[in-house]
Amino acid sequence: MRLAATELSPSEENLRREVREFLATRLPPGTYRLGLGMSGEIDRQFSRDLGTQGWLGMTLPPEYGGGGRTAVERLVVVEELLSAGAPVGWHWVADRQSGPGIARFGTDAQKRFFLPRIASGELSFAIGMSEPDSGSDLASLRTRAVRTEDGWRVNGTKIWTSGAAEATHLLALFRTSDDRHGGLTQFIVDTTLDGIGVSRIPFIDGTGHFCEVSFEGVLIGDDMRLGEVGAGWGQNTAELALERGGVERWISLAPVLEHWAASISATAPRWELADLGSVAARCWAFHGLSLSIARMVDQGASPTVEAALAKEMATRFEQECVEIVRRHYGRTPDLDSPDAHESLLARAILVGPSWTIRGGTTEILRSIIAKELSRGA
Amino acid sequence: MPDSDLASLLADYFPSAFPPAAVTAAEVNGPAPGAWDAAEELGLTLVGVGEDHGGSGGDLLDLLEVLLASGEWAVPLPLAETGLAAWLLAAVGAEIPRGPLTVIPATAGLVLSGDRLTGDAGRVPWCMGAARVAAALTDDAGQHRVVSIDPADLLIRPGSDLAGMPNDHVTVSADRVDSWPGVDPGQLFLRGALYRAAQIAGAINGAFSLTCQYVAQREQFGRPIGRFQAVQAHVVELAEAAAITTLAAARAARAAVTGPAAFEILAAKSVAARHAALAVRAAHQAHGAIGMTREYRLQQLTRRLNCWRDDFGTEQSLSLRLGTALAGSAGLMAAATSAPSTVGA
Repeated sequence: MRLAATELSPSEENLRREVREFLATRLPPGTYRLGLGMSGEIDRQFSRDLGTQGWLGMTLPPEYGGGGRTAVERLVVVEELLSAGAPVGWHWVADRQSGPGIARFGTDAQKRFFLPRIASGELSFAIGMSEPDSGSDLASLRTRAVRTEDGWRVNGTKIWTSGAAEATHLLALFRTSDDRHGGLTQFIVDTTLDGIGVSRIPFIDGTGHFCEVSFEGVLIGDDMRLGEVGAGWGQNTAELALERGGVERWISLAPVLEHWAASISATAPRWELADLGSVAARCWAFHGLSLSIARMVDQGASPTVEAALAKEMATRFEQECVEIVRRHYGRTPDLDSPDAHESLLARAILVGPSWTIRGGTTEILRSIIAKELSRGA
Repeated sequence: MPDSDLASLLADYFPSAFPPAAVTAAEVNGPAPGAWDAAEELGLTLVGVGEDHGGSGGDLLDLLEVLLASGEWAVPLPLAETGLAAWLLAAVGAEIPRGPLTVIPATAGLVLSGDRLTGDAGRVPWCMGAARVAAALTDDAGQHRVVSIDPADLLIRPGSDLAGMPNDHVTVSADRVDSWPGVDPGQLFLRGALYRAAQIAGAINGAFSLTCQYVAQREQFGRPIGRFQAVQAHVVELAEAAAITTLAAARAARAAVTGPAAFEILAAKSVAARHAALAVRAAHQAHGAIGMTREYRLQQLTRRLNCWRDDFGTEQSLSLRLGTALAGSAGLMAAATSAPSTVGA
């Protein structure tokens, strides 16, 4: 496997400047709660404003309200947003994952309804995959959708669903037959439907975005089925593969890193300066990795192994960044500190372990990569 | 992307001309007579040097391919050293002689006063047998100068590096040395770091390929060891090290085509050095005892990685330079995500 070296074109660099200028006025430092990468705060108005700028649903087809832009252009926007710790929570899943999934597998009616609303920042999606007994072994899931005259009747429980309490929709995977992989189907689920119960699961840092979603006889119309009956496993795998190679896998701690770099002087201890340089070198390298993968997507390739490999490496780097910064902090940072960067570092210490779990654990990724490598050998 | 003729020439020639036994023979008996001449005949020794300077033409990206492939096959020739010397001599318009060349990496012990060059050149890779030795230094008047030294003016005490390749102890005593104005010694350092990063990437690729083959063939507990997840983790780590290092070296080379690329080169070499260490450990761990022997090829790659990672700056010293350049600036992410980088380092 060899990734082609690529850099941003002048027009892509212009886009970066445009986003930076927008953020400087829309989100002046100190006026918003900093977030850790894709786990940013929820701010519907901010998401709508991004939609107005044309920075949501960028890669969706223009005929459905999307931007018709490239994966690299989306990378540029996301890199700037996450570097700033921007409140991306409302639109994150819809923009990265659900929108492209619907664009790829949805009916014309689904695309006409959902895609413009995702691109404008009106809708918020959450992912309904894991269940109490199905984590890494996702194909063992048991929440069942049974065909009825009116559509599908759903019973079961989804868990570890970030943002479900606020989301307008879930993109969920349900069991529609007993065939292990061939018995899974994706559905778009309106979270206000009767029989849906969402309860928050307090997260390790005390926040409440993590949820459990119960389905008790929930009736879902067949027009909300995404793709063919039984095609859910393949669609879901494609969705996961798409989400792995992004900048969000190495950039979570960016606001803290930026603050650290700005706060130390060139006469700081050599080991601290060397740590800073090492972090910078690796951010540069991971930026290149994400960029090459996005370029491949734009060229029509499907770099799933490359993306898995990038995520496996990058998320461990993010965790190491937390260790590096706290090593120089000198004391345990406070979660409720009025200093936003101190509080964010404290949160990172607590939630950092989740980075190598969400979106495919390190162990699962290694198995996927090893399987592909041995196939190629 | 590289010239495809060059890429296929490299993929064919290096493994056939330098099978593991030939690499070992070069270590035991010294460079094989004729090996250099054959590579020179094929035009592989001066890739990236203009034809007007007597080179083979091509650019830095072509040279990157040569260095990657030479690292992958542990080629026992001073291709990087010759490339550095040729670059230095071409930069000042000096003659580039045929034959292997080398550079003096550290010139702190040398004094250039007028035409007279004397002092301790420290360790010089592949000095014995070099047709010419080049260096970039600051003379006693504070001017940057490039020198081209006749080996007859050197006192060479042979030494070798961890890979068993020549790394000689050299002192200089030249009454009349050819010298030209120009080229900041820092530029040679950056070039050296870039070339070593490419060689490291090549050797990691080699170690990765070898490890993939080995874990598919070697059976324990009744199955290939590559079926065990714990072993797979080492293979994955090697794949990652190969991917990130190769890409970093290629991006730094592209940046160096159009600018000074200090940030990119220091970052690439720092990343390469770090992953060299990880790759050596992972490859040996996956191989077990066989990998620890001189009879098996892995050591030809890992011993080179153990040398190259510390040449032209260790991971620590390069990171220190980057960190010093970035400290106190609100521009870490901008430096890491802009091309060319917003930081010069």
